[in-house]
Amino acid sequence: MAKIGVFICHCGENIAAKVDCTKLAAAMGEHPGVAVSVEYKYFCSDPGQESVKKAIREHNLTGIVIAACSPRMHEATFRKACAEAGLNPYLCEIANIREQCSWVHTDSEMATEKAMDITRSMVEKVKRNNNLQPIEVPVTRRALVIGGGIAGLQAALDIANAGQEVVLVEREPSLGGHMAQLSETFPTLDCSQCIMTPRMVETAQHPKIRLLTYAEVESVDGYIGNFKVRIRMKSRYVDMSRCTGCGDCITKCPAKKISSEFDCGLGKRTAIYTPFAQSVPNMPVIDKASCIYFKNGKCKMCEKSCQLNAINFEMQDEFIDLEIGAIVVATGFQIQNTAVYGEYGYGKFPDVITGLQFERLASASGPTAGRILRPSDGKEPENVVFIQCAGSRDPSKGVRYCSKICCMYTAKHAMLYAHKVHGGKTHIFYMDIRAAGKGYDEFTRRAIEEDEASYVRGRVSKVWQENGKLMVRGVDTLLGKPVTVVADMVVLATAMVPQHNAKEFAKTIGIAYDEYGFYNEAHLKLRPVESSTAGVFLAGACQSPKDIPDSVAQASATASKVLALFSKEKLEREPVIAINNEATCAGCWGCVLACPYNAIEKKDIRDRSGRLIKQVAYVNPGLCQGCGTCVSFCRSNSLDLAGFTEKQIFAEVMGL
Amino acid sequence: MITQERYRTTVKELLANGSIKMAIGYKPGSTPDRRRPLFIRTSEEAEQLVLDSTCVQNLSGYLVSEGLLSDEKRVGIFLRPEGVRSINILAAEYQLNADQIVIFGFDSTGREVRPLDGRSAREFSGLLNELKEKPLQIYKEPLLERIEKMNAKERFDFWQEEFSRCIKCYACRQACPMCYCRRCIVDSNQPQWVNTSSHTLGNFEWNIVRAFHLSGRCVQCGNCDRACPVNIPLRLINQRMANEVLDGFDHFAGLSATQEPVLASFKKDDTETFIL
Repeated sequence: MAKIGVFICHCGENIAAKVDCTKLAAAMGEHPGVAVSVEYKYFCSDPGQESVKKAIREHNLTGIVIAACSPRMHEATFRKACAEAGLNPYLCEIANIREQCSWVHTDSEMATEKAMDITRSMVEKVKRNNNLQPIEVPVTRRALVIGGGIAGLQAALDIANAGQEVVLVEREPSLGGHMAQLSETFPTLDCSQCIMTPRMVETAQHPKIRLLTYAEVESVDGYIGNFKVRIRMKSRYVDMSRCTGCGDCITKCPAKKISSEFDCGLGKRTAIYTPFAQSVPNMPVIDKASCIYFKNGKCKMCEKSCQLNAINFEMQDEFIDLEIGAIVVATGFQIQNTAVYGEYGYGKFPDVITGLQFERLASASGPTAGRILRPSDGKEPENVVFIQCAGSRDPSKGVRYCSKICCMYTAKHAMLYAHKVHGGKTHIFYMDIRAAGKGYDEFTRRAIEEDEASYVRGRVSKVWQENGKLMVRGVDTLLGKPVTVVADMVVLATAMVPQHNAKEFAKTIGIAYDEYGFYNEAHLKLRPVESSTAGVFLAGACQSPKDIPDSVAQASATASKVLALFSKEKLEREPVIAINNEATCAGCWGCVLACPYNAIEKKDIRDRSGRLIKQVAYVNPGLCQGCGTCVSFCRSNSLDLAGFTEKQIFAEVMGL
Repeated sequence: MITQERYRTTVKELLANGSIKMAIGYKPGSTPDRRRPLFIRTSEEAEQLVLDSTCVQNLSGYLVSEGLLSDEKRVGIFLRPEGVRSINILAAEYQLNADQIVIFGFDSTGREVRPLDGRSAREFSGLLNELKEKPLQIYKEPLLERIEKMNAKERFDFWQEEFSRCIKCYACRQACPMCYCRRCIVDSNQPQWVNTSSHTLGNFEWNIVRAFHLSGRCVQCGNCDRACPVNIPLRLINQRMANEVLDGFDHFAGLSATQEPVLASFKKDDTETFIL
């Protein structure tokens, strides 16, 4: 005989203001099988929980219903209280009379009636609940970090330094990401390469880190603690076990006029190349699309020049299968295609460049060895105009958000320019200066006060060329007048946007993304580094535009999450999984196809002599996520979901 | 008559040389236009074989009788094109191995019966693909057209009227080659999702559940329709479902033995006309 306890929470005024809790408690007290029905102001509080535990012990309850807020809020709390009182935690059910009742109704009487329906249906369900035991699954203590920019490096190093294994996958031939392309970094003006490259070397040499460059994640299966990841090692055409990085092949390569991606098109590279001098690993790859041999079938100059026979034109893509426990996604960003701003003449006028291109000009390792020179004629510009929000905060161009870093790097650019070109003039068109961060506002003030950056508050409507000069027409909203500035160079603070394949990649790993393609965190405030998929964490600009300090901080946060996961030998999982009735299973395997987690296997049923009688479906408890797709597919009703059995659901519905 | 004689000879030959252990065909029934199933194991039994235009029952359901195919010996069966599609579905749902089935295909126009080429389900794929291209022309039903013209209310009333005669004998289920489950959902009473009593609600529940369970699987053989003792035009519901899956998912049931079930699979190029 069921002895159910019903605990009705006022949630302060949240529920009690609309639902007559006293009436509800009385009605539930009369429902068959209910042994105790009480109300209280806050059951989630310590005394509230104690009273639940006391009631369980005193009345020998066989199940409880907490009529309160959403189960997402406090189901775990009350299950724990149940367990502490000696009752199986899965004999606790939550009747949501807050979000689904008191908050959404105005009529008190009807709300009370609805609360009765909701609570009664849960009482009927809990009568049919069974004791369930959590499922234990092993944890593979090996992390996969996707992306070798600053966020990925930080996450990998933090996890590895704590003694856990890491596999770091980078799509490009070298580690470094966008940070390696930068000149000096705000707000301290330390050289990006100088702080970045030691990290890259440390990562490559770390005994706990397996580095896979020029590699991409092909597929991800499995679940938290037990992912199965397939990596595609793209063919470099250079045998990494032989290459010493001497660079002879690069010198000999006759295809020298290929636009360098690393220098944002301002420099040239060869077909066999390393992206930049400090590349890690310092071993070249052959760019198949530009290689003369691959195009014409003749050349092989690199092969002839290599004394170690490291060049192999026959190389094919290879696949590596990895067992992974946790995944850190640090795939970064790209800059918006500036072609959407036709009025600024990017692509038409060579001296209109992006902020990232300016970084390459200002970088000591860049195409101009750190001198600010115009791409068109190689002369030093005397007047430079910077246009902020060239893409960001502009709904008409599809980017409503603030890219966050542009105010700061534009101030930095103005500063670097003032340091390198004495007497040069800068104009910065801006909407607002957003300089929140440690030392940030001081930094922009320094650009204005010490380095004489001239800020003009307003938008630019048009850039055109006249007598070899760039004419910039904008508005100064503080003066209320249109202005035209004559410039030698225009720098656009382009928006940060998600990687071009961000959405497809999210589908590969199984995580959610927002309308732009930035990856969604599980909770913006309280779970900012977890993705919606357990065991997958987010670091850096793949989640939203971020500067270096934010990316590093978030990367370290993901490392701490990964390490917390790895601190356990086994993970406890909710026992809400599908169970098959082998006697009635017809073996049609519709469930095998329907299961999104490949959790259903074929099982042989044999008689005592070992003769095969039939094959039935078997649900692997480690893989099943309890989604219920198979249950709804099964025509013979052989599959059922523990914790949400058809019996329970039916009773719940009939209780309404 | 010539077709019948030829097939009698073929069956005898195949039984004699051990290619098949049994052939399932038709023999005379209680009235001149009725036929009943015949299970031929000897050449004497083959003499009873009848093959004419009145042989309409889809016999494929007999193949999944427990134990029949477990010795891996081959079984012959007389099938119309719909029956061949049933074989493909049963194979796709792992209820039998299509290679174990020897097909004696036939079709009829008016009173004329003609044999169909091919002995294995695979060899019928050309014919089945042709059927897919013009299904409506072949299975056109005047009553179906009438129902399609009705509005929702009229349609509901029509079916309520039809289902009111249902006595829940489950003859439709027993006759259907697709209803091979060891335990049908209506026999599951913990909980009792489908009402067993023959009242309006219970009758609706049963017939609609069955229609859904047959969506993407029904080949319009008409077994259920003919089995129904109270003449509910069950075939029309299934015909409508078949049209729906063909329009929505480009799925023509039983095209091949590797066809994935329409409700358990996903294709990127599904037409998805139902998504607004």
